[in-house]
Amino acid sequence: MADKSGSIEEMAQRISSIKQQANELKAMSGGIQAVDRNVDRILASVKMLEINISDLVGLVKDSK
Amino acid sequence: MTDADKYWNPILETLPQEKLKELQLRKFKRIFEWAYHNSPFYNGLYRDAGIEPGDIKVFDDIRKVPKTDKAMMRAIQGKEPYPYGSILSVPLEQVTEYRQTSGTTGQPVYHPETWQDWEWSAESWAYILYAHGFRDTDRLFIPFGYSIYIAFWAAHYAAEKVGCEVVPGGVLDTEARLLKMRELKATGMAATPTYVLGMADAARNRLGIDPAKELDVRRITVAGEPGGSIPATRKRMEDAWGAKVYDHAGATEIGHWGYECQAQCGLHINEALHLIEIEDIETGEAINEPGGRGSMVVTTFDRLAHPCIRFDSKDVIEWSPVEKCECGRTFRLLRGGVTGRADDITKVKGVLLAPAAIEEVVRAMPQLGDEYEVVVTKRGDIDSIALKVELLPESGAEIDALKEDLARDLRAKTNLRYDLEFCQYGTLPRYETKARRFKDLREKE
Repeated sequence: MADKSGSIEEMAQRISSIKQQANELKAMSGGIQAVDRNVDRILASVKMLEINISDLVGLVKDSK
Repeated sequence: MTDADKYWNPILETLPQEKLKELQLRKFKRIFEWAYHNSPFYNGLYRDAGIEPGDIKVFDDIRKVPKTDKAMMRAIQGKEPYPYGSILSVPLEQVTEYRQTSGTTGQPVYHPETWQDWEWSAESWAYILYAHGFRDTDRLFIPFGYSIYIAFWAAHYAAEKVGCEVVPGGVLDTEARLLKMRELKATGMAATPTYVLGMADAARNRLGIDPAKELDVRRITVAGEPGGSIPATRKRMEDAWGAKVYDHAGATEIGHWGYECQAQCGLHINEALHLIEIEDIETGEAINEPGGRGSMVVTTFDRLAHPCIRFDSKDVIEWSPVEKCECGRTFRLLRGGVTGRADDITKVKGVLLAPAAIEEVVRAMPQLGDEYEVVVTKRGDIDSIALKVELLPESGAEIDALKEDLARDLRAKTNLRYDLEFCQYGTLPRYETKARRFKDLREKE
């Protein structure tokens, strides 16, 4: 598990970046539903990535 | 095979138990805080109990949190925000799906899903299907009339997520489903144990098809009833289809929390998505050691619209003494899946009876059909229990001898004597969804 801890942090950073970009896209849409609703779907998938990866940051590193 | 091929999430599914507990404590704090601040129902419950988010510091503090149950859910619903009531923890505009429980134990419970929560449901089912061996090379047939209930909807979406080609067998009748499965060379199926057996029966007796030889189904995921974890019922299904049968467990309000792996030595609890506590049925004391059997209390992490926190499911489970599964998963194992419901376990003639024990005896007798019915009545002050079974027409069995064997095995398994009735094959009710084979007609005191 220890060899995976570095990549978990890197993956978590990428996930955070996707989330930030999705939110920025929504903020600049001016309420276009075709943007906002699709961003909501992206964010739901991002949440699953957080559950699967980001929530482990710190935990797996501690097992080194 | 690499870890990425073996597990849906090789990191979470092999996390050491002490790390899993740490993760669960973090997640419990998070869902507790969410519910406290966003659900008037939970806020009131916790304020009345004098507990707030800062009070959950260590794992054992979780037991200070009041439990919830289905009766509470029923009492809340039907009010504003309509129809979910004060448990709803997101604005009503964010709800994108309506579901409800099957109502097996009474008034159905309404269940809202946001898009994110629905994504979560598919995610939890993806763990199940992947552990059962489904991959992007599979064509999964779902012979189920999708409807207002959650059943198999999440399986459908999860199968897409895993990469399977999904064939929704929704409104087709049984014969049409079987013919379509043959035509498309479906490699997998997801259904209730009752319907898996019923389809095989229909294939043989109505279409003249032997599913084990003439269909391509290699693996079957079962749900909704305990049969997948009852060895005699599983054997019947596997023999009839020539396929491996894998069990899983879940419910509308708590999500899909347990699954078998290909080692088939019990149900793994998905401890990354759920906290499962086991409590003694009579005393409510926590069961903290393998081998213990009791009632299941569930917390579902990360599902936000209708939080499920320390929900007393009434399901009876047993923590397996097998501590390490050969599949490599570290998630705790349960022996025998969900073995019954605490409110199904009833006293007959003063003896505690779990109806699943009767099924185990009936299905272990090859001369008998798959269907049976149990009726408990009271004559004066004395309980009476009757069991109806069907004799397979081709069995050639001698009824008196069979009756004697059945009575003996039932007595050994359940410590009760039954009035046995052999019915003509095909006369007992057939079920497509959850079967209701146990009928207690005694007046409640």
